[in-house]
Amino acid sequence: MTIRRAAAELVRPQKCITQTPIQGWPGWDANRLVIRGDKDEQAVLCSKDKTYDLRIADTSNMLLFIPGCKTPDQLKMEETHCNIIHTEIFGFSNNYWELRRCRPKLKKLKKLLMENIYEGPDSQKEKDSNHSKYTTKDLLDQIQASEEEIMTQLQVLNACEIEGYWRILDFDYEMKLLNHVTQLVDSESWSFDKVPLNPCLQELGPLEPEEMIEHCLKCYGKKYIEEGEVYFELSADKICRATAQMLLQNAVKFNLAEFQEVWQQSVPEGMITSLDQLKGLALVDRHSRPEIIFLLKVDDLPEDNQERFNSLFSLREKWTEEDIAPYIQDLCGEKQTIGALLTKYSRSSIQNGVKVYNSRRPIS
Amino acid sequence: MVQIVISSAGAGGLAEWVLMELQGEIEARYSTGLAGNLLGDLHYTTEGIPVLIVGHHILYGKIIHLEKPFAVLVKHTPGEQDCDELGCKTGTQYLVTALIKNKILFKTRPKPIITNVPKKV
Repeated sequence: MTIRRAAAELVRPQKCITQTPIQGWPGWDANRLVIRGDKDEQAVLCSKDKTYDLRIADTSNMLLFIPGCKTPDQLKMEETHCNIIHTEIFGFSNNYWELRRCRPKLKKLKKLLMENIYEGPDSQKEKDSNHSKYTTKDLLDQIQASEEEIMTQLQVLNACEIEGYWRILDFDYEMKLLNHVTQLVDSESWSFDKVPLNPCLQELGPLEPEEMIEHCLKCYGKKYIEEGEVYFELSADKICRATAQMLLQNAVKFNLAEFQEVWQQSVPEGMITSLDQLKGLALVDRHSRPEIIFLLKVDDLPEDNQERFNSLFSLREKWTEEDIAPYIQDLCGEKQTIGALLTKYSRSSIQNGVKVYNSRRPIS
Repeated sequence: MVQIVISSAGAGGLAEWVLMELQGEIEARYSTGLAGNLLGDLHYTTEGIPVLIVGHHILYGKIIHLEKPFAVLVKHTPGEQDCDELGCKTGTQYLVTALIKNKILFKTRPKPIITNVPKKV
């Protein structure tokens, strides 16, 4: 019976180094991973496009790291016979870091950009250089998220990179730009599917900076090239949604029937409005007489799961899944569903034959 | 906010180490501390079962392929000589030194090896 032998020596490293095993390593060739966090925040680890919670796991066992040690399978492949291999133990530990994929902490991004909203190049604010502005690098320094997740969120916020700084547009200014575009499309009798970029810039250039016109087209449409010319396919859904926001933000609540009439009249001719377009933006109350609708933006709600549910349940005691889904969709982690969240944070009951959800504990 | 970079130590592929997991603690026989001393001998039987002999104890273990591999990071706090061309401190960094895909787990009670059993007269 042959026995393969290897010997291990224990060596304590001379310099002060920390060996920390990380479980769940996100990629074999980690081009660049960064740990991000403020003193009062929990650390996260970010790859190029994902964010992970970083936790320390303790074990009562002793973990020894052995370079050059081989498993029987590896030795079998190498065909060594009865050799003694001297190996040094690099070090040992009682704990390790554990990685768990988590949602990027992006609420701070909007908060930072709202410090200095862009109202147009002629605004007094732009002439005053004291206001806070953030470059991409600044944002990476402040937001606990991966670069790709930050870029995606900037797009969702319709943020614009102006002179190297990321800015969120003042909503009224954004609507002003959009109105210029839709009015031009109407007067030129263009199809909303095929809005040519260059004529737009030519006609509207005298009114607003060309970069802002183009930014507006990018936010509300999809760019494509046909026969060498750049066109935009405008999204009816996005335009109708923005129009609704413009109407709803002026009052606490609206009579639903009246709102729907005004809304349809306010959108460009040819576009059809539908309440489906307002998910995560507005909430309809079908129990009040008359039925009403009011503005409720999901990004104004808390980021933490429990706090989110608390605020939703303080607004309304019982929710149907259809109504609450748009307001908790963004809380779903990698493997979590809306159903799982509802099971965890709420209690269900049947009301008038319909399943409704309410808070697990009394809301003060 | 702090940003700590974790980068790959070598340009080529990362070395693969093995993790050995033991229950309890290791003590040095003499009070010289653990560094520089021999821990013991690791053997594999023909069936591939790891056997560890530490002092006069023998332990049997098993090889476990890790579903979630480990990475070994070595902390690197910059000294004076670590300023790059731009001038200043690059800050604390972690270097990925190796990956661990397998571990040898010893969780059975060590058995003492008795070499001399006096025969009854």
